[in-house]
Amino acid sequence: MKKIWSVIKREYLQIVKTKGFIIGTILGPVLMGAIIFVPFLVSVVSVGEQERIGVVDETHEIFEALDKKLDHKLKDGNRRYILEEYKPAADMEALRQDLNQKVLHKSLNAYLHIPGNVIEDGTAEYVSEHVSDFTKLRNINETLNSVIIEKRLRREGLDPRKIAQYIKRVGLKTIKVTKKGEEEDTGGTFLIAYILVLILYMTLFFYGAIIMRGVIEEKTSRVVEIVLSSLRPFQLMAGKILGIAAVGFTQYTIWAIFGFSATRYSKSLIVSIFPGASGFKLPSVPPYIFVYFVVFFILGYFLYGTFYAAIGSMVNSEKEAQQLLFPVTMFLVVPILLIMFVIRAPNSTFAVVLSLIPFFAPILMLLRICVLLPPFIQVAGSIGILLLTIFLMIWLTGKIYRVGILMYGKRPSFQEIVKWIRYK
Amino acid sequence: MVKMNALEVENISKSFGDFYAVKNLTFNISEGTIYGLLGPNGAGKTTTIRMVMNIIIPDEGRIKVLDRKMDEEMKERIGYLPEDRGFYPKMKVGELLLFLAELKGMAKLDARKKINSWLGRFDLADWKDKKVEELSRGMQQKLQFIATVIHQPELIILDEPFSGLDPVNTKLLKDIMLEMKAEGRTVIFSTHRMEQVEMICDNICLINKAERILEGDLSQIKKQYGKNTVILDYEGDGCFIKDFPEIDRLDDYGKFMEIRLKEEIDPQVLLPKIVGKIRVNKFEVREPTLNAIFIEKVGARDEKDMVSH
Repeated sequence: MKKIWSVIKREYLQIVKTKGFIIGTILGPVLMGAIIFVPFLVSVVSVGEQERIGVVDETHEIFEALDKKLDHKLKDGNRRYILEEYKPAADMEALRQDLNQKVLHKSLNAYLHIPGNVIEDGTAEYVSEHVSDFTKLRNINETLNSVIIEKRLRREGLDPRKIAQYIKRVGLKTIKVTKKGEEEDTGGTFLIAYILVLILYMTLFFYGAIIMRGVIEEKTSRVVEIVLSSLRPFQLMAGKILGIAAVGFTQYTIWAIFGFSATRYSKSLIVSIFPGASGFKLPSVPPYIFVYFVVFFILGYFLYGTFYAAIGSMVNSEKEAQQLLFPVTMFLVVPILLIMFVIRAPNSTFAVVLSLIPFFAPILMLLRICVLLPPFIQVAGSIGILLLTIFLMIWLTGKIYRVGILMYGKRPSFQEIVKWIRYK
Repeated sequence: MVKMNALEVENISKSFGDFYAVKNLTFNISEGTIYGLLGPNGAGKTTTIRMVMNIIIPDEGRIKVLDRKMDEEMKERIGYLPEDRGFYPKMKVGELLLFLAELKGMAKLDARKKINSWLGRFDLADWKDKKVEELSRGMQQKLQFIATVIHQPELIILDEPFSGLDPVNTKLLKDIMLEMKAEGRTVIFSTHRMEQVEMICDNICLINKAERILEGDLSQIKKQYGKNTVILDYEGDGCFIKDFPEIDRLDDYGKFMEIRLKEEIDPQVLLPKIVGKIRVNKFEVREPTLNAIFIEKVGARDEKDMVSH
């Protein structure tokens, strides 16, 4: 144990003293902050541009109302959309060709073609170079929709003054119910779940790579046999993994301090600079989420750490390791691809099964816990399965590591690795 | 008083798949001697040493170190210099030695004192706070010697210690080995360079193709081969000598020849047959060199193998 302690100490000090660690620790939260706050600030601060939209109104009765209603404003108070009417011509095909050219030459951002039967049929066409700005499309679609519905109702002889009230949209407020009661949730749960899962994902990758690089360094510098003349291969592996875990905890602790002070003071800071941001609400996070985050980080770290250590022991260079890393990378990437699915249906059978698979569990179970606390038996089950898998992995990788670390030259085949595991 | 055995290796075998790296190997080393483990490349020397160090576990057999069964605790009483050796390049010299000394169970204070005295002795004191990667190759080799003996091991195991050393470091290492012996410690080293063995070894074990083919006291082994070897130091074209019927083996180095005569042949008959044909600077009758024995033993096996395959 004393020897493992020496190895832990060496690993820890060697990494913590490097410039890379210091820079990474400082840059981590800055980057995180940037990822979260920059899009938010951009949306708060940016003025946006006016858009010129042509309208071909074959009904001759919609343009005016649409022009009046589509009155979204930019931050500087100007109209966002400037509508230009184009009278329908006898040859509609030629007019459209003409308008297409205008769009391509940027004298129009887009044009709207409203056919004569739109009030009965209900389909208009929006033509532009790009049609992926969903806010814009929703603005136009909803406005057009309400204008046309109003027309329909007028035709039915309803009181024009009451129509606005009849077609008023119904709002939907999202409220999350927890044991503590009701709480309005404006997407904060999603944001927190997403951030925590991404941190977990990135650090598992990151610390795994550090472990692997360390093992490869010991192997290529040929120091490993000198060290093994004092302790068992397993002690060396354990010391390395634990030492780097200590590095991880140091980094997390620093980040947590950053994070808590940021959530405490940053809002007032942002609001004082941009008064428009006062509507933004930082979601409150129940403390158990952080406890589970630490638990799943530890479990994920050991699961993947042993994996990375074994791979490092099998190869002679990081380049050689790339191929073997493929399955590990897949295990980490697949749950990230499933995030949206699990957030949408955290208690579906599929999500439950996925979150019990040990290689996916750290990320997906944490995600489920963030979104909607699953039954305790499922959380305990996934932790239990993870622990079992970790013990199995330690046993298996210990055997691979013990042989691999002294093998130089050709990368072993799968059959050879199976043979290594069988050695006495 | 009967001397204790520093190392007892009894019938150890190790195979990797179908390949025997070491087969039924037995040898004993008594305390306070220098022991040479010889053999061509790939004979199984490194595997044997790794088994002694408990880095590889033998399939069969028994190893006793310093009169105890080899286990992890015994590693603290052994100093080991592996064949493939290097250090953590980014560590400082002093930190590295302290780390290695701690792994050998030394207390920090004691380790620091020893590190300073060894660094001073090898003119490395100024390098203590430099990174290992900044040291020259020769300095790194000195560092390796220090790391091997810093904890005053009772048994020192050196795998191919002389390979890659310049003459200065070769002498330094040889002096350390003799010093260790004088202090009553035991030294084992593997090599395929016979000159060094002849100079410093008390006993040897010759391994070829995983098996022991010769073991024992070096001077006695040589004696067994009798005094019918002639060392000839000459000038001129000595090619004709190899056709003499009295000759069993001959190694010609151009200016120097080691001639092994057939049994019952008196070396004196050789001399008149060469005088006058080449210039003879030296004609010495002696025991064969270890090099000749090595080549004969290992070579003979190879030839036998060729026939049987």
